[in-house]
Amino acid sequence: MTAPLRFHWRLIQGGDMTEKIAHDRVASEAAVPEIATQMAFCREAEQLGIDSVLVDIGVGKPDPMVLAMVLATATDRLKFMVAHRPGLMSPTLFVQQVNTFSTLAPGRITLNFVAGHSQAEQLNYGDNLPHDERYERLREYLTICRRLWAGETTVDFAGRHYRIEAGRVRTPFIAPDRQAPEVYLGGGSRSAREVASELTDCWLRFGDTVENVARESAPVLDNGSEVGLRIACITRSTRFEAVNVARALLEPCELRRRESEAAFVKGSDSESIRHVYELGESEWLGGSLWAGAVRALGATSIALVGTPNDVADGILGFRQAGVSQFILHGWPKWEEMRIFCREVLPLLKSSH
Amino acid sequence: MGSTASRADARKRLRFHWSLSQAGNQFRRASQTEQMSGIPPVSAQLELCRSADDYEIDSLLMAIGFARPDPTVLAAALGRKTQRVKFMVACRPGLISPTSFVQQINTLSLLLEGRVHVNIVGGHTPRELHYYGDWLPREERYARLDEFLTVCRAFWAEERGEVNFSGTYFQVEGGRLKTPFSIGGRHGPEIYLGGNSEESAALAIRHADCLWRFAEPPERLAPAIAPVVRSGTEVGLLVSLIGRSTRDKAIQAARDLVERLGDSAQQAQLNFERHTDASAFRSTFALARSCDTGWATATLWTGAVPFLGPPAIALVGAAHEIADTLLEYRAIGVTQFLFTGWPDDEEMAFFGERIAPLVRERERVEAHAWRIRP
Repeated sequence: MTAPLRFHWRLIQGGDMTEKIAHDRVASEAAVPEIATQMAFCREAEQLGIDSVLVDIGVGKPDPMVLAMVLATATDRLKFMVAHRPGLMSPTLFVQQVNTFSTLAPGRITLNFVAGHSQAEQLNYGDNLPHDERYERLREYLTICRRLWAGETTVDFAGRHYRIEAGRVRTPFIAPDRQAPEVYLGGGSRSAREVASELTDCWLRFGDTVENVARESAPVLDNGSEVGLRIACITRSTRFEAVNVARALLEPCELRRRESEAAFVKGSDSESIRHVYELGESEWLGGSLWAGAVRALGATSIALVGTPNDVADGILGFRQAGVSQFILHGWPKWEEMRIFCREVLPLLKSSH
Repeated sequence: MGSTASRADARKRLRFHWSLSQAGNQFRRASQTEQMSGIPPVSAQLELCRSADDYEIDSLLMAIGFARPDPTVLAAALGRKTQRVKFMVACRPGLISPTSFVQQINTLSLLLEGRVHVNIVGGHTPRELHYYGDWLPREERYARLDEFLTVCRAFWAEERGEVNFSGTYFQVEGGRLKTPFSIGGRHGPEIYLGGNSEESAALAIRHADCLWRFAEPPERLAPAIAPVVRSGTEVGLLVSLIGRSTRDKAIQAARDLVERLGDSAQQAQLNFERHTDASAFRSTFALARSCDTGWATATLWTGAVPFLGPPAIALVGAAHEIADTLLEYRAIGVTQFLFTGWPDDEEMAFFGERIAPLVRERERVEAHAWRIRP
């Protein structure tokens, strides 16, 4: 199992692209796409060799499918990893949207499925399924999507959550090398892992100790799916400088942030968000792996912090544990992508 | 407010829209839906979008259906390459959460500087709705549409509070979206809704800015739309155009069209008619059957309906005849039109260069007359 290493970056959203600090979870979330800046960011990501940008989903954000389509018209090769939650639309309609995207930007849409991390947010969308049933529904949803992409003339499906008769969409999925889009599934629970290895190309998880990642990835890899890590990085020329940047993230209003994050975790029914919150007990999880911001900024703030060599070593450590894809972000959000691609990527290439 | 509203409407500038779905196809709707490719002919569509930018076309209708590309995603790609024209995105309420729909539409609108309308359709063929997992019987589709639009409009309300709704088909709790429809402009899109039934009219009065109807003779249409016009909701007509420099040439063009189509097109429509449960489609098929001559009025031609379906009911004639007809419809309260043509680009050019100027001139004269009236 030696899938090549691939690097993705989280799309910058809203007014946070140049700032050195992270924002509060709720107050910061961008409501209005700053499209000119995002287009420039995507063009640079493309030049730097980023495989795809992740376009998140949530009530506080613009719709990722529509935003990604517009960003695709401003770029040539970059892919868009569009986040999606089942329960919001018919799987047939979703396949129709994905396929339409692919006819307009062939091979440039991939999908990041998430089951949803909070009951309250799901209720915004009129979705009141409890956590475990969301995975059962996700399984049905993915099954229908995959069969539509597999080119079956018509799809009949009768499950607990969906009943489709003679389902079809005329618009095909277009890509130079694939019949269906690459599908990622994020989530730390056992259910997420099982559905990911059964029905998707890659299981995505938050950062954790290398040992935990290795242990939990093994069954997924055995099943033939890849494992991807959503993790931050803070790369500077010296370790001292990088650690200072990391610690400075916490300075403004740390107490208020800690309270707001604790409230968020309490309202979440995601196992992995709770698990990572526990990890935040210690500042360092081994080597350059930093969990110092987890209790204030959330699970995605677990970071590789240090020199280009430190960060490259961290990446290769996870590589040993079976991880082949990384969805990265950092601070300042745009600048860190530049630093990573210029300083860290060449080290990884030479160590292959 | 009754008579004031209708007097105001009589002075309203007519607005014109065009259907985008079949741009570049000479024989729109002539084949079975099953045979459509589903791949958008992007360059032909972009050309039509740019013509619409130039002429007086308010928006382009992006239809919805299993044989077509998704209208929201397609509008996102086409919209960034145009300047002025709006995109009327079709939506079927049974396929998507109202919250998600509003989020997609608001995102699209922000990226296209507010150039988005929505066209809500109930779905016309149960068989097709099953492809999407929608099994609601027709009688209940209206009730669901009502709930769907109630939720959407709560998200689009001027006061952007938390949306809470508990209905039979939708439950939304603590609903909030941070992406607005526009910055400093409208709070939500103009809402269009199609249908000939009384339920559609009632829903349009309650929720929509404009009700779409298929064309029929003005004297038949007038009583049907009177309550809608009185309510202040606009009424628009879906109709095809065959305009030529003279009436004879237009009639010849219409005849040529039917000749080119032949039996397979007719078979496609018989097949469609068997499976549709939408009253608008059924009543236009019936109107076409009742017109032996193929003419419902001097300019309203039903001759292509058996071949191309209800949207092919057409205004046929010279530019001034069509302009007169549009103004006759305005006199009974119709203020918007959605056109199609064969092919669309040539017909749009004829409309933009020959018909629209006549309509605008008449509107100027009448507006002046209103102003000087004591």
